[in-house]
Amino acid sequence: MNHFALTIVGRDRPGIVSQVTEILFKQGCNLADSSCSILGGQFAMILILGHPEFTDRASFGDAFKPLEDADLTVALRVLKPGGEIRSHIEGDLCMISVYGADKPGIVYRVANVLGEKKVNITDLNTKLVGTEDRPVYVMVIEATLPEGVEEEDVDNWLSPIRDELQVDITVRTIPTVEL
Amino acid sequence: MAVRTIRVYPDPILKQVAEPVDQVDDDLVEIVQDLVDTMLDAGHSVGIAAPQIGVLQRVMVVDVSKSKLGRDNNHGLLEMVNPEIIERSGSKMMREGCMSVPDYTGNVTRAEHIVIEFTNRNGQLRVIEASGFEAVAIQHELDHLDGLLFLDRVSSLKTDLYRRKSK
Repeated sequence: MNHFALTIVGRDRPGIVSQVTEILFKQGCNLADSSCSILGGQFAMILILGHPEFTDRASFGDAFKPLEDADLTVALRVLKPGGEIRSHIEGDLCMISVYGADKPGIVYRVANVLGEKKVNITDLNTKLVGTEDRPVYVMVIEATLPEGVEEEDVDNWLSPIRDELQVDITVRTIPTVEL
Repeated sequence: MAVRTIRVYPDPILKQVAEPVDQVDDDLVEIVQDLVDTMLDAGHSVGIAAPQIGVLQRVMVVDVSKSKLGRDNNHGLLEMVNPEIIERSGSKMMREGCMSVPDYTGNVTRAEHIVIEFTNRNGQLRVIEASGFEAVAIQHELDHLDGLLFLDRVSSLKTDLYRRKSK
């Protein structure tokens, strides 16, 4: 089984998921992990898929042409063997919420600190909310902490950004329990 | 009294609603004891519900007193027959794992404080107030009596469901 990463983006409307998955189903693709979401006015799909015979972009022929005709942007990445397998990430799970009046650099400044401290971001969503004259930026990050790093450490590392960018930041770890 | 095999999803019994216990007898004593034995045998477990050992009756046991998160706030070993939550408040998110859904953990939000009514294996009525990890464990096990798994409580697969670290 060869694996591919497929991304599709286009103006949101009902029927995109149906059209995409019908094509994939008829091509004989197996869907694995996927994430599809509305971002602004666009609908974005990211899918990891497998196919028993297909080896490259050419194998799909003109299967995606109807999507392009419908003004969707389609990109296909051929994965190297094993590229579909998520390696286990050790460490405590941590959620970080950042929000405040919109200004440039919020994502970068926070991600920069986390990257330097080897905190692994596993999910990141941002949303522009509030009103036109008072836009508010909200970011929620899910990350795994390296060994020995506590909630308080992350809070301390991010603290200077609080004052500098005037944003609110809360850090909380989520305990894992066996029931 | 015995350690029983733990049923694992997709075993259909895990999705069925358990029947209330209507009499206190030797059968009930045996179910409660088997639950305790199976829970202890599982080592890491802090609770187990009867459907997880293949018994469709409203019986469960919970004991968080040996765990790090519940050590300082617990009621010891709780044998719960026909448990019913009569009050709930607050909310608390934990990343739950379940012996019946191996390999995965998921973020679940539950009430932080509960008042729960139940009888023990001798039919004596108890009402307790539980909070924190003990309250979460009770709600998790009670879900099993209603055919619910933590997967039914997860709100987002993207951020809430994880493959557990290999043992």
